Amino acid sequence: MKKSNELPRLSRRAFLTASAGALAASGLAWPSVAQAKGAGKLATLIDLNLCDGCPNKEVPACVAACKTINRDKIPPVADPIPVPWPRKTVEDWSRKREVFDRLTPYNYLYVHQADVDVDGVPKTVFVPRRCMHCDNPACATICPFAANHKHENGAVVIDQDLCFGGAKCKAVCPWEIPQRQSGVGIYLHVLPDYMGNGVMYKCDLCYDRLGRGKEPGCIEACPQKAMLIGPRNEMLAEAERRAQQMNGFLYGRDENGGTSTFYVSPVPFDRINATMKKGPGRPDMKPGVERRMAGTDSLAKAVLAAPAVGIVAGAAGALQWLSDRKARGEKDEKKDEKKDEKKDGKKDGKKDGKKDV
Amino acid sequence: MSDRIVREQNRVIRHSVVELAEHWTVALSGLALIVSGMFQLPMGSRYYINSIPGLAWSADYMVSLNVHYAASILFVAAALFHTVYHGLRGDRGLMPRKGDLLTSIEVIKSFFGEGKEPPFHKYLPEQRLAYVGMAFIIAMLIVSGLVKTYKNLYAPDLSYAVVLWATWAHNIGFVLFVLAFVAHIGAILLKPNRPMLRGILTGSVRLDYAEHRHPLWIEEVEGASREVKAESAAMTPQEPAGPEQVLVAADAVQEVPVEEQAGDRDIGAGAPKEPGEAGSDITKPCGEFPREG
Repeated sequence: MKKSNELPRLSRRAFLTASAGALAASGLAWPSVAQAKGAGKLATLIDLNLCDGCPNKEVPACVAACKTINRDKIPPVADPIPVPWPRKTVEDWSRKREVFDRLTPYNYLYVHQADVDVDGVPKTVFVPRRCMHCDNPACATICPFAANHKHENGAVVIDQDLCFGGAKCKAVCPWEIPQRQSGVGIYLHVLPDYMGNGVMYKCDLCYDRLGRGKEPGCIEACPQKAMLIGPRNEMLAEAERRAQQMNGFLYGRDENGGTSTFYVSPVPFDRINATMKKGPGRPDMKPGVERRMAGTDSLAKAVLAAPAVGIVAGAAGALQWLSDRKARGEKDEKKDEKKDEKKDGKKDGKKDGKKDV
Repeated sequence: MSDRIVREQNRVIRHSVVELAEHWTVALSGLALIVSGMFQLPMGSRYYINSIPGLAWSADYMVSLNVHYAASILFVAAALFHTVYHGLRGDRGLMPRKGDLLTSIEVIKSFFGEGKEPPFHKYLPEQRLAYVGMAFIIAMLIVSGLVKTYKNLYAPDLSYAVVLWATWAHNIGFVLFVLAFVAHIGAILLKPNRPMLRGILTGSVRLDYAEHRHPLWIEEVEGASREVKAESAAMTPQEPAGPEQVLVAADAVQEVPVEEQAGDRDIGAGAPKEPGEAGSDITKPCGEFPREG
């Protein structure tokens, strides 16, 4: 595997041959449903060597399948949509449901076409983009209502019945994946003008289908078999093997602290990223994106240690107090003994008709 | 505890330095937690709070999370310190007593001119009830907050049921904590309670105030001093107290720390006594006492 800024020396023929060979050799060309359903973390592999963007289709097969599966997911939108106060942001995609060239609340996957130059040879790479299902996703961990959660199988899923549409998940996502539809969701029943603004939507890795033992719709529909799903370890090993074999590049293993989506590409990702203009609904692909919550880890660890610090300090303080009390008691006893001795001396002195000096 | 009467200065030492430090650590870190916790909601930008000078960070979730964590360290450590320290010492002054609920209602009525308030121990009955309520809320916030922190660091895929419980316990705890915080501030602003503000700021209150409003407490402090005297006398039972002993006992009445004497202590008070056990002069309602403004 090469570093992301090194150009691969790979002809188109070698490129395709290597990909096909890798696919056949891996035994993972069509992972069984059992693998997808299996216990433990799942991950997906997206092989950009194989994705051709479905040139003969108006909408790429994966995108079309995703749209079909999620067509009725969003309930009817309130009409009129409440205008939030004081910042009057309303995001309504209900009249633009057909959009498929960017992420929207009605479109969780799109295919970016990257026209790059590899050693003077123009090359086109198609990049399916959707939620990366990060290993430690800030979008889920700091959702104030736990509406977004990373499940045990690795899927990061937004519960649309709990989401208030505040878009915090979008703000903390390095790729700003979740998209908001205003006018739907629980916020309509609370304080729609002052709290919440809809529901956030994104790819949920077809969580329900996985539960029924099926593959995600996009993977099942891909005619090129460019996408795979399986146990995370196996997918990562396969992605690394393919990247090495094609003298190519890997994206998603380390980005944002690790994700459950591994892109394999014969073209460096910084070149691909250069063709992506980051904008609403269109994430970029900057290599080496750092996990944004990493900057909070140190203090979080200190928080977990705080109870022990409090308990030890409290016990030490109380023991010190007990020790001091005991010492004072002994001191008082000695004082009293001295007084007693003094009094005894006075008595004796009186008896003897003498006084102590 | 360090409760003691300093007659020449007309004051009673009500809180030790340790207690003041505990209180203010919890109070100030709690305030920081309320503010930074609110900024964990997507409100900094929506309500233009981030455009207020000095509050640009209100819309940066990572900064407000770090502020929240930093305040949590102090809050959690102080709360656990308080529990262990006073637990091991056997301090029970803030534990509710039988009849506190009914007495609290009487006291609250008296604040509005209905009836007269009964004589108090060191703490008012509603203070003891509020303490338990606040302790419950704080425990709820700490436990749920620790689960959330652990999840953020090590287990983002923690059981969804656990995450939901922790999150909503934290959110409900937050609302209760804010209400309790406001009620606490409101209570100290009530005219009859204002002299106690000095107590939590400096550690002592005026003796004349305490004698009229907290006679049971003063009795406890003085009772503890008398115990000293009695113990001293018991050590030399055959002899009448000489002039020197009387002098020592008189000093003890004025400035003997309760902690050295009382077996059953409050958080800052001596052995609690039932109202009937105190002298008849202090069982009278003290509503006639001219309260300080």
